[in-house]
Amino acid sequence: MTTELKARRYAIISGKGGVGKSVIAANLGAELALTGRRTLLIDADLGLANLDVMLGLYPSHTLHDVLCGACGVEDALLHARGGFDLLPAGSGLQDDAALTAPMADAMEKILAALDARYDAILFDAGAGIGDLVMFFARMADEILLVVTPEATSLMDAYATIKILSQRYGRLTFSLVVNRANPINPLQTGNAVTAHLQRVVTKFLVARGSGAVTVRLAGCVPNDPAVARALSHQCLLADLDPKAPSAMSFVRLAESVCASA
Amino acid sequence: MKQNAPGSRARGLNLATAQRILQHAGRLDNIPSGLDPDEQLQSLIDALCDLSVHDGLTGLVNATFFHAALTTEMDRSSRTGRSCALLVVDIDHFKKVNDTYGHQVGDYAIQAVARLMGKSLRGMDTAARIGGEEFAVILPECSPEAALQAARRIHGALNPFVVTCAEATITLTSSAGLVWTDLARTESARELLARADQQMYRAKRLGRQQLCHPPIRSTEVTSDEKVLLFFPAEGEAVDDN
Repeated sequence: MTTELKARRYAIISGKGGVGKSVIAANLGAELALTGRRTLLIDADLGLANLDVMLGLYPSHTLHDVLCGACGVEDALLHARGGFDLLPAGSGLQDDAALTAPMADAMEKILAALDARYDAILFDAGAGIGDLVMFFARMADEILLVVTPEATSLMDAYATIKILSQRYGRLTFSLVVNRANPINPLQTGNAVTAHLQRVVTKFLVARGSGAVTVRLAGCVPNDPAVARALSHQCLLADLDPKAPSAMSFVRLAESVCASA
Repeated sequence: MKQNAPGSRARGLNLATAQRILQHAGRLDNIPSGLDPDEQLQSLIDALCDLSVHDGLTGLVNATFFHAALTTEMDRSSRTGRSCALLVVDIDHFKKVNDTYGHQVGDYAIQAVARLMGKSLRGMDTAARIGGEEFAVILPECSPEAALQAARRIHGALNPFVVTCAEATITLTSSAGLVWTDLARTESARELLARADQQMYRAKRLGRQQLCHPPIRSTEVTSDEKVLLFFPAEGEAVDDN
C-alpha cells in the first residue's frame, strides 16, 4: 500500500465518445483497489453519467447535489463491488452538464478533502473537449487518453492533445489503446502510440521547456467478454477473470502505478 | 447594497460626514430629498460607493475597481479554464488635443470615446478609465479568437473617431494592445496589464492607430495534421483488427 498523503489523480478522457472510457475507468479502478490502493472513481460526465448503471448501483445523491450544496460528499459516495468507491453523477439533466465558476470552486475543495482519504482518484470524463472535460484534465496528475485504432478516434485524441498542450501546457499523455487486435494487442498499442507521437512531434511545438510526449500505458484487446460484463452490470474480473481483456487491466494497473 | 446594522453607525459613517464627502465631490444634489434619516444615510452610502467605483469624468469604472475586477476575472479564469482577455486602448497624440483646444475639449473627447467604447461591449465586459487617456476593457470567459474579434470591433469603432465640440472638429485615433490569460502559468493582474501595455506601446511604435496582440496558438486541427493522422506512412497500419 502506498504511503503518499495525497491521492494521485487520473483523468480518463478520449475526445471521441464510445471508445470505452467508462469500461476502462471501472475495471482499472477495481484493479487499483486490488493492489491495495484506496481508490475513488468519480463519474465526471455530469449530465450523461452511467458508471452507476454499469456497476449495478442505485445512487440516491449525485456529484451535482454535492456541488450545489444539497448534500455532503459522504451522502453521495457509494462502495462498488470492485473494492473502490464511486462518486456518481446524474443523467439527463442538461443544466448539470455545465461547469459554473462556483461549481469549479466547490469541486476543487471536494477534491482537496478527498485527496487525503484515497491513494488514487480516477475521473471518468465525458466525450468531447468541453469545459468540463478540460477542467478535470487540468485537475489530474496524469492524463489517460483512451483511443481505439480507428482513424476517427486517433483524430479526436490528437485534437485533445493539441488543446491540452497548446492551451493548458500539458506535455505528457498516457495512451490506453482499447479494442486492440486480440492476436497481438501490444503490437496495435505500439503502432497507435508511434503514429500519434509522430504527428505530435511533427506539428506540436512544445511550450516551455519540454516536448509533447505520448507513452503507451496499456492495451485492452477486442474481447466479447467486455460486452458480456456490461450486460451483466459487473466487472471483468468478476465475470471472467481469465478473459484477455480482464488480464489486460492487471497490466494496465501495473503500468499506471509504475508511472506514479 | 448591504444594510448597516443600526449600532454600527456610531462607529462607521455618519450622515454629516457622508454629506460632506459628497458635497466636496459635487454629488450631493443627486440625493433625493424627503427621506427619513436611515433612508437618507443609505442613499448617501450608495452614492459614496458609486463615487468610489466610477471615474467622475466618463462614468466608466475607475482604476482601483478595475484592478479588483481584473483579479476576480483572472481567478475565475484559472478555476474554470476559460481564458479572460484584456484590451488596453490609448488615444493617440492626446496631449496635442489638450494643448491646441484646451482641457475642456480634451475632457469632452474622452467622454465621447468612453461613450462609444461602452456601445461596443458585451454585457459581461467591463470598461474602465485607467489613466488620463488610457482605457481598459476586461473581456471575461472568451477564447483568444473571440477576444480578438471583440477587440477588433471596439478598436474599429474608435478608428478614426471624429469629435465635434465648441466649434472644433477633431479626428482622433487610438492604439490598442490585447492579451489573454495564459492558462499554463500563474500571473497577477498587474502582470497581465503590463503585457497589455507592452502590446499597446508596440502599436504606438508601429505607427499608431492599430491593434497589437501576441500570436494566437490555434488549437484547430489543420488539413496537414489530418492527412498524416488518417494516412499513416506505408507499412504502418494502425487499425489491424
